[in-house]
Amino acid sequence: MTEIAVPTGQVGAAAAAVEARGAAMTFNAGRPNEVIALAPIDLTVAPGELVSLIGPSGCGKSTLLRLIANLLEPTDGSLLINGKPASQARLDGDYGMAFQQAGLFDWRTVSRNIELPLEIKGWDRTRRRARALEMLELVRLCDFADHHPWELSGGMQQRVAIARALSFEPKLLLMDEPFGALDEMTREHMQTELGRIRAATGAAVIFVTHSIPEAVFLSDRVAVMSARPGRIEAVIDVALGERTELTRGDPLFFKHVTEVREALRAGHGVGGGMEDR
Amino acid sequence: MFVLSLVLAAAMWELYKAVGPETGGKVLGMRVLPKAEDRAMPHVWEMFQRFGRAEVRSSKDTVLEAVVSGAWYSFRIALAGLALGTAVGFGLAVLMARFRVVERGLLPWLVVSQTVPLIALAPLVASWGGKLHIGGFTWQRWMSASIIAAFLAFFPMAVGALRGLSSPPPAALELMDSYAAPWRSTLFKLRIPAALPYLVPAFRLAANAAVAGTVIAEISAGVRGGIGRLILEYMREATGDPAKVYTAVFGAAAVGLLMAGLVAVVEMTATRHLRKEEFA
Ligand SMILES: Nc1ncnc2c1ncn2[C@@H]1O[C@H](COP(=O)(O)OP(=O)(O)OP(=O)(O)O)[C@@H](O)[C@H]1O
Ligand SMILES: [Mg+2]
Repeated sequence: MTEIAVPTGQVGAAAAAVEARGAAMTFNAGRPNEVIALAPIDLTVAPGELVSLIGPSGCGKSTLLRLIANLLEPTDGSLLINGKPASQARLDGDYGMAFQQAGLFDWRTVSRNIELPLEIKGWDRTRRRARALEMLELVRLCDFADHHPWELSGGMQQRVAIARALSFEPKLLLMDEPFGALDEMTREHMQTELGRIRAATGAAVIFVTHSIPEAVFLSDRVAVMSARPGRIEAVIDVALGERTELTRGDPLFFKHVTEVREALRAGHGVGGGMEDR
Repeated sequence: MFVLSLVLAAAMWELYKAVGPETGGKVLGMRVLPKAEDRAMPHVWEMFQRFGRAEVRSSKDTVLEAVVSGAWYSFRIALAGLALGTAVGFGLAVLMARFRVVERGLLPWLVVSQTVPLIALAPLVASWGGKLHIGGFTWQRWMSASIIAAFLAFFPMAVGALRGLSSPPPAALELMDSYAAPWRSTLFKLRIPAALPYLVPAFRLAANAAVAGTVIAEISAGVRGGIGRLILEYMREATGDPAKVYTAVFGAAAVGLLMAGLVAVVEMTATRHLRKEEFA
């Protein structure tokens, strides 16, 4: 349980993108297969801020993301998204989601995939199409609007998934190991792309990852979690300024990487399950 | 390829007639090889010649005309049964996909339903139907056969469609949930398109079942005018006119082929349309 303060500049300006107060999750409570996935969690994410969640497998990162997305109801505590209860935020389309698998629908073209949430929200055809093209421009895939997902590389599919998640302009983007299935080169490229997309949209991001350098490179803050029961062990502020390819060679970058690794070790003896890439 | 295999089958038949024992082969008093004599196994050309001759001595209609009209009649019965069975099967699958309780309660009964012997069921359906009078509607005998066909056809459809509708991975369902999509949107935009690869083979099975059901129902419920009835009638004349019953068997095969052709056409259009242009 770590109280994370809202950066002072943001207080009073706008409601926090995410505000978890003692949010906890126990699966199968009271039954023999009970799992305490998350001990009460306090976490505040400011508008436009990127916070990474990193921790060993099974520490509840995906569960926390599902709580924020209102795909699960917390067994205790409360969650506010943009100042609203999570259930209302889901109905209002306050957040978009992207997972490790791009999860595009094979029977739809790229642009119709991006239009999917807009169709569900009842946008008309011309508006949908126009927005899909805008989003394709944002993720630099204009030439692929009418292709089918299987014609795209993994990295391109993941960009389409991000475009889909951002198509209705949510103020919050939830990402669960979105680059986990990509090769190293594509992965670094996607990290840079995400930085650019964030700058363009101003969306806050919660980013689950297993890679320490990735967390450091992307984040304003890194929340280090530990398991059994899942909790936030430490929060590390990353002060790297604007990220460029040079950032990856910056001594300060390595200092933060070491800091995160040590926090992970402190959480559970060894840095088990972590990747050093 | 198809024609070649037909020729091959005919050649096998004639070969067996040439070398097979006239009186059939017996092992320990049990007949294991069929008699090769002309009464039990008429020549292939005799079967075809039989098509051209009169059906019964007094009539001027040829066997060909009788078989073709019987096959066409049965085909339409099977088609009605297939349409009904597909609609009911798909409807049940949607219900089961929507409500877990329905799935748990219904699925075992669907399985049990397929173990009911048709020979017993067909006359029952015919007699129930005969008592049915709703307004100006009166039950036609052919409807009993269509019902039986539908009874056989709905099952593969229901099971296949349920599989297909439940095939989207949890992540895809969560994605729809994250958009706060109503169940209807999830059905039309995710579940049905994802079910398509399952629906195609299910429909093929249903079509075969509808044809089999039709022929069986015609025989056991005594529906006149179809190929099943012809098989039954010609069987009775088999001693005096052995080639005749085979003409009806060819007719039944023709119904199956016609259905297979139709299924292929439906599959092609469905796959092309549903894949590209979504519905709703
Ligand atoms: N639906 C569920 N029912 C029961 N237990 C669950 C369920 N979902 C997750 N858990 C349990 O909750 C714990 C946290 O799972 P979660 O998926 O959030 O971990 P994670 O940090 O995302 O792990 P990974 O890094 O492997 O993705 C695990 O012990 C898991 O077994
Ligand atoms: Mg996870």
